[in-house]
Amino acid sequence: MDLTQLLPVLKLRPLIFALTTLLLTTVASQSIQAQFLHPKLQSKETTIRNVVVLPAKVNVVRDSMKGPEGMAAESEELSARVEKVISEVLLKQKQVTTLPAPQVTTTASDAQKQYGVADFQTKFDELLPKIMKKRSDVKKARFSMGDEVLELNLEKHADAIIFIRGEGKKLTGGKTAFTLLVGGVPAYLRLQIGIVDARNGDVLLYTDPILAGDPTTAVERLRKTLEKGFKKLPAVRAK
Amino acid sequence: MFLNKLRNLMIAALCCCVVFTTVGPVALAQKKTAPVEETPPPLNEQFKFGEVDLEVLEQSDLLDLRFKRDGLVLADKAANDYLSGIGRSLIPKGLAIEKVSWRFRMLRDPQPNAFALPNGSIYVTTGLMTLIDNESQLAAIIAHELTHVMRRHTYLQNRSNRKKFLTMNIMSAVGSYAPLSMVGAVITIVTTVAPLIMFATMFGYSRDLEREADLKGIDLMVSAEYPPEELIQVMKLLDKDIEGENVRLFYNDHPSLDERIKYLSSYLGARAGRVTTQMELHRERKAYFQNVLPVMRHDIQLSINAGRFRSAVYLAQRLVDFRPDSENLFWLAEAYRTLGPRAPQLSDRELTNSAKKDASKKRQKRTIEEEERDLLATAAGKENWQQHQQKAEELYLRALNAENPLPASHRGLAMLYEKLGRANDAVVEYQKYIDLSPSSTDRERILRRIEGLRRN
Repeated sequence: MDLTQLLPVLKLRPLIFALTTLLLTTVASQSIQAQFLHPKLQSKETTIRNVVVLPAKVNVVRDSMKGPEGMAAESEELSARVEKVISEVLLKQKQVTTLPAPQVTTTASDAQKQYGVADFQTKFDELLPKIMKKRSDVKKARFSMGDEVLELNLEKHADAIIFIRGEGKKLTGGKTAFTLLVGGVPAYLRLQIGIVDARNGDVLLYTDPILAGDPTTAVERLRKTLEKGFKKLPAVRAK
Repeated sequence: MFLNKLRNLMIAALCCCVVFTTVGPVALAQKKTAPVEETPPPLNEQFKFGEVDLEVLEQSDLLDLRFKRDGLVLADKAANDYLSGIGRSLIPKGLAIEKVSWRFRMLRDPQPNAFALPNGSIYVTTGLMTLIDNESQLAAIIAHELTHVMRRHTYLQNRSNRKKFLTMNIMSAVGSYAPLSMVGAVITIVTTVAPLIMFATMFGYSRDLEREADLKGIDLMVSAEYPPEELIQVMKLLDKDIEGENVRLFYNDHPSLDERIKYLSSYLGARAGRVTTQMELHRERKAYFQNVLPVMRHDIQLSINAGRFRSAVYLAQRLVDFRPDSENLFWLAEAYRTLGPRAPQLSDRELTNSAKKDASKKRQKRTIEEEERDLLATAAGKENWQQHQQKAEELYLRALNAENPLPASHRGLAMLYEKLGRANDAVVEYQKYIDLSPSSTDRERILRRIEGLRRN
């Protein structure tokens, strides 16, 4: 094949770049709106009044010209912040109260309790790829974590459990400049949030809001993203 | 015009130089087979900490904390002391390494694996602890991981990867501003292919480090008087693909099993003469099982939770063969009940690479309940379920008739009866379980099940 045949394609590069950016922006804004509700929640047969937020697992990396670098401390901080903001958003927008999560210490006597929470988190991690393959099936009540959820022995009036996962990246100065000049994925945070019935394990809501920008500093934008992320969740007084 | 052409040619030549100078030596290094006698000393004394390495060290310390906080570290003092004892016996006497503090822990994960953090934390998963046969095999794994720490492999790999990432980024920058000409098209193609080659060299470097860890690990085993040939045995065990999940990729960060056995046998050479007798190994196996029995039982539960039902049956059968007591019989019964309509072993056809890839895709899509429903729609699935429920029932009953019966056997039996539609029998067994274990963590769950069965 004559390589000069490729030249017209190369000339279209700026146009392709602009179209890709437009497409990504559209997809991202659609994702922010993507929330999937279980029919029982949609029909208000089930109302979520009290939730327990399990420890979030949010990982961010620093992307530099020399590759990705771990940010364990910042990830911990961000995980705690996401948990806190979710509780605040749910209370303010939906009048949903957050109950204390199972208290786990690292003493040997508490090991079984700690394993229980850890195993349930792992179970959600195993279900998550299946949900993400077909998120809209949450509306068909396809996903459940089973009645093992009762083994967490949460407070009696807990209606649901919130699982939070997230991944994001922050760009260094050099990488930001590189992304602007050459292209590439900008800084972002993608959350995957599942609300699970505390009595039978059914996945009641799944939402995966995306935040564009440095996830470690965007506090207010995180709040707004989460407000949009829970937009479809029925408020308590709407009953 | 002439100057433009010259400039384009120079850019193209520069690209080629970058690719060949970076990729060439590493790619060639993968092919050469270094004489095994020329392995470096156990400690990398030339290594000096840089800022980047200190960052990696900090991340490792935080990872340790996170594993513990997230309930992933097994809090079994006796088992951890046992692991620690073996680990410390392998460390050369009087060896002190800068910024290394040795810690040996078990990770609650049914996937057989082990890894080392550069700060000296060695993790062995419960899945691996349960799969291996004796202490020497565990020593082989730890010796391999200790070498990664002593030779500073994580830091070296991180440094090497950073250089390669930088090269890749420079290449893409050059590629995106290539001139619109024939030379430009060549540059674009070269800069598109180069990152793929660069990735391959990352795995190649990693394979070299793994080989070094294998060989130096043997030295550590011999010094601690463990039979080194057990390293080969443990590799064969790790190659046992019970769940059909070892999909071969184009590149892998570990050398292939055949290659490992070949260079290890060559390295062992005359030392391989010290072959441990079967009787000695049998005795060692018995002692090992005795030491890690609670870990093994814990791992069977984790395997069932993770949907690794075939592994659960395989591992529980080993326990029953070792000692057919009530608790071990219970775990085998649990494994058969949850295995449901699946075949206990994968067929040769299911173990082909393409079949494993298909199965992996299906696992990503289907829930466990959907998989069981689909299998039960087939004649083979129905037959499997028939056999497994009979085995499970028989084992639960044997467990209940054995000395010190476990109350959980009543719960397992009840769950089996519930699945078989024998509601009354299920209620009776659930009730017995509740009566015998009034303060169990699943009390609420079981009471709700009883309520549901009575209502229906």
